[in-house]
Amino acid sequence: MTRNTLTTAGVLLALSTGTALAGDTINVLTWEGYSDPSFISKFEEQSGCKVNATYVGSNDDFAPKLMAGGGVYDLITPSIDTTKLMIDLDFVEPLDTAKIDNWDKIYPKFLGLDGIQKDGAYYGMPYVWGAIAFMYLDSAFTTPPTSIADLWNPELKGKISLWDDKSSIYVAARKNGDMNIYDLSDDQIAAAQAALLEQKPLVRKYWATAGELVDLYKAGEVVISNTWAGYQSGLLAAEGVKVTEFIPTEGAEGWMDSWMVVKGTPNTECAYKFLNMQLSELGQCGVANVNGYSVANPVAAKACMSPEQYAALHQEDPAYLDSLLVWQPLGDRFEAYTNAWNAVKAQ
Amino acid sequence: MAAIIELENISKHYSPTIIGVDKVSLAVEDGEFVTLLGPSGCGKSTLLRMIGGFEEPTAGTIRLADKDVTWDPPYKREVNMVFQDYALFPHMTVGQNVAYGLKTMKVAKSEIADHVRDALTLVGLYDKVDQRPQQLSGGQRQRIALARAIVRKPKVLLLDEPLSALDAKLREQMQLELKHLHEKVGITFIMVTHDQGEALVMSDRVVVMEKGRIAQQGKPQDLYDHPASPYVANFIGTTNFLPGQIAAGGDDLIRVEIGAGTISARPDGARPAGGVVTVGFRPEKARLLADGEGAQNILEGRIAEVIYYGLGLRVAVEIGNGERVFVDSLLPDRLALSAVPVVGAPARVAVEPHNVFVFEGSVAP
Amino acid sequence: MTLIRRNLAGALVLGIPFLWIALFMLLPYGIIVTYSFWIKTYPTFKPAFQFGNYLTLFTDPQYLQVMLRTLKIALLVSLCSFLLAYPFAFYLVFRCKSAALRTWLYMAVIAPLWVSYLLRAYVWKTILGTEGILNSFLMSVGIIDQPSDIFLYNQFAMVVTLTYIFIPFMVMPIYTALEKIPHNLTEASADLGMGPWRSFWHVTLPLSLPGVAAGFTLTFCLSFGDFVAPFLVGGPDGNLMANVIATQFGAALNWPLGSALAIVMLVVVLSIVSMSDRLERKGAAGGV
Repeated sequence: MTRNTLTTAGVLLALSTGTALAGDTINVLTWEGYSDPSFISKFEEQSGCKVNATYVGSNDDFAPKLMAGGGVYDLITPSIDTTKLMIDLDFVEPLDTAKIDNWDKIYPKFLGLDGIQKDGAYYGMPYVWGAIAFMYLDSAFTTPPTSIADLWNPELKGKISLWDDKSSIYVAARKNGDMNIYDLSDDQIAAAQAALLEQKPLVRKYWATAGELVDLYKAGEVVISNTWAGYQSGLLAAEGVKVTEFIPTEGAEGWMDSWMVVKGTPNTECAYKFLNMQLSELGQCGVANVNGYSVANPVAAKACMSPEQYAALHQEDPAYLDSLLVWQPLGDRFEAYTNAWNAVKAQ
Repeated sequence: MAAIIELENISKHYSPTIIGVDKVSLAVEDGEFVTLLGPSGCGKSTLLRMIGGFEEPTAGTIRLADKDVTWDPPYKREVNMVFQDYALFPHMTVGQNVAYGLKTMKVAKSEIADHVRDALTLVGLYDKVDQRPQQLSGGQRQRIALARAIVRKPKVLLLDEPLSALDAKLREQMQLELKHLHEKVGITFIMVTHDQGEALVMSDRVVVMEKGRIAQQGKPQDLYDHPASPYVANFIGTTNFLPGQIAAGGDDLIRVEIGAGTISARPDGARPAGGVVTVGFRPEKARLLADGEGAQNILEGRIAEVIYYGLGLRVAVEIGNGERVFVDSLLPDRLALSAVPVVGAPARVAVEPHNVFVFEGSVAP
Repeated sequence: MTLIRRNLAGALVLGIPFLWIALFMLLPYGIIVTYSFWIKTYPTFKPAFQFGNYLTLFTDPQYLQVMLRTLKIALLVSLCSFLLAYPFAFYLVFRCKSAALRTWLYMAVIAPLWVSYLLRAYVWKTILGTEGILNSFLMSVGIIDQPSDIFLYNQFAMVVTLTYIFIPFMVMPIYTALEKIPHNLTEASADLGMGPWRSFWHVTLPLSLPGVAAGFTLTFCLSFGDFVAPFLVGGPDGNLMANVIATQFGAALNWPLGSALAIVMLVVVLSIVSMSDRLERKGAAGGV
């Protein structure tokens, strides 16, 4: 009896504190590919730190997962529209940028973004970026589409897909000619909502995950949609489905994911080793090769990428980066956007 | 009287070897109360269900009031059945149960209530008209089932072991009630039972069945007093059987050699000497002789067992060759109990020759 | 001593389930109820006691719309399941002569329950898709000459998929109810002059109603709370209550509103269950 109790208590103790006690293990909550074994194993060998990765399907997963209880994750990678929320929720701690070797190599444009800083301190380390581009099935078009308006074309009824995300409001607003997509007035949001409702009968399905969009193209259900530039088109190319990405005349949104350190992590040492690795050639080319995303440190990129890849990922193309409407935190306007999008789906 | 039901060579063969009913022919007269009697598996229920239309015969013809109904479904036959466990509809009141069968008849809606009331009054349960069958006792349900069948005024009422689910006391009471009901409504009743007492009390005619065939049929008293076979003799009432051989034949009084002596009998027909037979007599037709008393047939032995059953005594007497015979004696007087035979005492059993059955062959049932 | 030990055993036998229910049912419900009165403020929400969330649910048409759509889908699924399951169960109980065939058919309907829900939903995606099995079949027999997209990504596909997934929950209680009806009741009905159809209408159907009610309750509640089918085979107009709740707890980060929605849903489901319970008890009172 006594021995059993002790054993049980021991097991419980091990379960509850296992992650916190092991100082050489870090738990990351991130996107698929960001901790890919193709480059993480090397890091583990060199640093002696073990990496456990848990994947999210959407930016909406970060807050609920962290809210559910602390002490589990050490590092997270929300996108630039969610980083601010993490800071405001007090889930993350300021970074000691002096401990990150390549910090000053990061694109200045990213270091200037509001979403990753507060009160003069940085909370996020820019990592990868890309465009929310548009994509079409080559075989379905004789004249390639060039505009967001093509997603409203009645002739494509039942062949259109759109990301199931508040970003659909950004798309519709631009179609309406409202380019201040992160600062829309109530009227502009209402107009975007109306445009989306008008489009709804033409939509085959709102895609929720990268895999779902790939399936939709593969099964011939969809011929045009928005996409995470570089990612789904790469997967489709591997499947032999010929699709082309394009930036519409109305412009495209840009996104950028940053590494953030969860508040109170006991594994600071390994966490900073990990951050340094991710911003080095190992991490930057590692993720670019797996996901096909552009990276935040062009110096590392230039060193480890072929010239073709370097060019294809727009790493030395300031005009491209500048043309992107990089996501911004919506703050207290967040609810108005999500509510409008939910209302579209509810109808 | 004309036959209301005529069965002609009715057979029900489930397979070449499994035979439920085998070439049964039977005519039932209008207004008659006929009972099909036999042990389970003798085919009596199958026969009844074929009359009702719930099963189809594999051969033969069934005529109801001169009309061939062999292939008619139940709902086209003017017969009704009282099922063994009554089959009352649990989701309907007593009144609705009784009215159910009137829906398909040409009865004006306004009259249905009257018919229901009459039928329920007949069985004495009109006060239960709004109750559910589950709220009633077994006997009451039995009567509701009767009312539900009779209200349709069928040409024939079929009763499948109608009293088997009731306790003994109630069963006895219902036997008489059913008999009186039959007299009152004048409908032909065909009942199936395995209870010989029930059959004797209620029926005008009893049809004893054995292995899918009719073993013997007749009035209750004829069957009891003149069983055609050991099977019938054994199934109706109790019989002591003793194997023997005819020592002196004849067409009136014969003598049969049995192991423990000889026995005289007056069989229903002439019997030649030398025939191997089985003699039988009923316990209540035999008696124990007092000291010095004489009789025509006497079997000597010792008293092996005395069974007291209230009405009287049944005494088992072990006769010469180790066989036992039973002798019943009523105890019409309380004081007679003092004369109870003692186990082990010598005894002499007497039976009159005209009370002795003589069956061909030596095989007792 | 033994008395104490017996009491202890009794306390454990009763206590553990009670603790389980308290910890994993009552407590979560309590938390959800509490949240539903809280108020959303950026970045999350704060404790309050106000009915704003409930008010929103009944004033903002989007929630009413989703609620009505969910009710509609759940009703359609229950109805389709019933129309398919009843004749099937009836055949199994009353018409199927071979016990082996009956067992086999029954298992064929129940067996999919042992297969992952997701897998079964995916199967329907490959059947109903534009380049799916159904389209290929229709084209090969010449009914259509162009693949049609009317089978997938709409409410029809959701009803088909949910019906397929939940039909065992309709078949099982109806089968049980039909099997419990004594055979001699239908015989009695025939004996009293009713043909097969009228016998069915007056006897078999009413006596199987408790099973039908149980089946309706199960399929209705299961489809009412479903959120995978809309995700997999539903179209743009396929959002159901559970999806909206998921959105409120996820993307919208509005747990109070999500909780209020969950409570409303719970109330709907509980009223359906209690209604059906009453019907079943009524059936039992008059039943077998």
